[in-house]
Amino acid sequence: MLSDYSSIGIFLLLTISFPVIALVMAWMVRPKPKQTEEKLTTYECGVDTKGKTWIRFRVNYFLYALVFLAFDVETIFLFPWAVKFNSLGLFAFIEMVIFIAILVIGLWYAWREGALEWH
Amino acid sequence: MDFSLLTTEILVALIGLLVLVVGLVLPDRGKQLVGKLSLLALAIVLVYALIAFPREASYFNGIYQVDVFGNYFKILFLIAGILVMLSASKYIKRFAAKSSEFYGLMILATLGMMVLSASGDFITMYIGLELMTISFYILTAYLQSDKRSSEAGLKYLILGAISSAVLLFGMSLVYAMTGTTIISEIAGAWTMQPAMAAGLVMIIAGFAFKISVIPFHMWAPDIYQGAPIPVTTYLAVGSKAAAFAALVRVFMLAFPPGSISFNWNIILAVLAVLTMVIGNLIALTQKNVKRLLAYSSIAQAGYILVGLVAANTYGLKGVLFYAMLYVFSNTGAFAVATAVEVDAGSTDIDAFNGLAKRSPMLAAIMTVCMLSLAGIPPMAGFVGKFYLFSGAIQAGYLWVAIIGLVMSMVSVYYYLGVAKAMYIGVSIDENPIKLDVPAQMALWACLAGTLLIGIYPGPLSNFVQTAISMFL
Repeated sequence: MLSDYSSIGIFLLLTISFPVIALVMAWMVRPKPKQTEEKLTTYECGVDTKGKTWIRFRVNYFLYALVFLAFDVETIFLFPWAVKFNSLGLFAFIEMVIFIAILVIGLWYAWREGALEWH
Repeated sequence: MDFSLLTTEILVALIGLLVLVVGLVLPDRGKQLVGKLSLLALAIVLVYALIAFPREASYFNGIYQVDVFGNYFKILFLIAGILVMLSASKYIKRFAAKSSEFYGLMILATLGMMVLSASGDFITMYIGLELMTISFYILTAYLQSDKRSSEAGLKYLILGAISSAVLLFGMSLVYAMTGTTIISEIAGAWTMQPAMAAGLVMIIAGFAFKISVIPFHMWAPDIYQGAPIPVTTYLAVGSKAAAFAALVRVFMLAFPPGSISFNWNIILAVLAVLTMVIGNLIALTQKNVKRLLAYSSIAQAGYILVGLVAANTYGLKGVLFYAMLYVFSNTGAFAVATAVEVDAGSTDIDAFNGLAKRSPMLAAIMTVCMLSLAGIPPMAGFVGKFYLFSGAIQAGYLWVAIIGLVMSMVSVYYYLGVAKAMYIGVSIDENPIKLDVPAQMALWACLAGTLLIGIYPGPLSNFVQTAISMFL
């Protein structure tokens, strides 16, 4: 019982010491130039941002996301149905047609309302 | 499985989709047609639902239940939906190009309520709840040019999402402890453990938000005031009744009264008392009728909750009975407020000044409905409160009943404050308020319902008795 815990304890010590040793080794080996402003800024890929980043985003992104969601959910339900198509038979087929019809009405509505247009 | 018993729900879903399509296909969004079409269709469904009342069935191992209890609430939602749509006939012009979707969303919200009241397991219940609330999120923010409406919509969305999360967390804890989401199976599977208690408290909190029970009421006043007034009506009448239906089903089936280890009645009793006291006291100071009705509807939720606290024949009868008369009385009061808002552009209590001279019928209906909400005989509210409070006394909750009675007395003050403005107040505008035919029909129906149920409660009482028979 106790030896079980000791193996966990050794494992814990090893996992903690591993990153500590790695960091300490790197600190000892690496060159240490003078700290400049450039060195202290957050490292990021890409260009620096111009102006504020807290701006309003177009609501159209969300409309696309919503329409996408409809298809996403549709696919989730279509997959198992398609896999078991032969054994499920006509009843499930009709059910699926009704299900898709409801979603198509939703898409039709979004389309007519201009949710897919980027003004 | 006999799917023909789901005709009510299937029809409502079809009508909802049809209305959306009609709005898309017809020129000018079929403005005239859509309203009449949806009203006619809902009326037909209502007749069907009345005929289908005694039919019962259970689907998919009990996750969806067609039973008299659910059928009763389906009839209630249809009546409420029809009355609200009728009373909104003139107000809808404010929605301009979006009026066809208004009907579509109202119908889909009705469908959500139906699913909520008939679901036999937690997940179906949640789907019904979300269908109802998401429709309401949109409807609340329907007056796009009105900042207060948008604010109300956003508030409702954020607070509603939080309450849904709490409810779901509670349901998942109960599922973790019992291994089932089917409500009737939970009854035999649970033992009292800390996680179970946490789950139940969260479920209570989630539903308490929907029925705006204090301390989960903070959303109600702002949203009731900001939302378009027909939506407020439906929110107060329909969504509240639906949440009560679900609450009764969960607690009466999964945790039948008398189970010693968990006394949920006392939790609900405290909530009910808080709601009745605070709701009524805050309503006293309101100067806006919409806001006043919002606080009054918080207080009314407290009264209805007393019935579930009692959890006996009288109490449950009271819940269902009160929910039905509340449809008539509250919709009547809101319909008058709608007419005044269409005419005067505001629902401040000053806008009601001198209404008795301008439109005696409106003033009379408002007074009758308000007195019914206050529980004065011979209006329907008296009979409802009689059931609720006698149930509480029978179950040994005398203190709850006494507080309820005292707070009903207090509520008379602010209800009659509106009547005072209408009969004694003086208005500069002497012109009568013009009403169109649908709004008049709604008003007369509300008046007739409030008076008939009050004077001759027998038929509804028998109806309710049948509906609750499955619990006792």
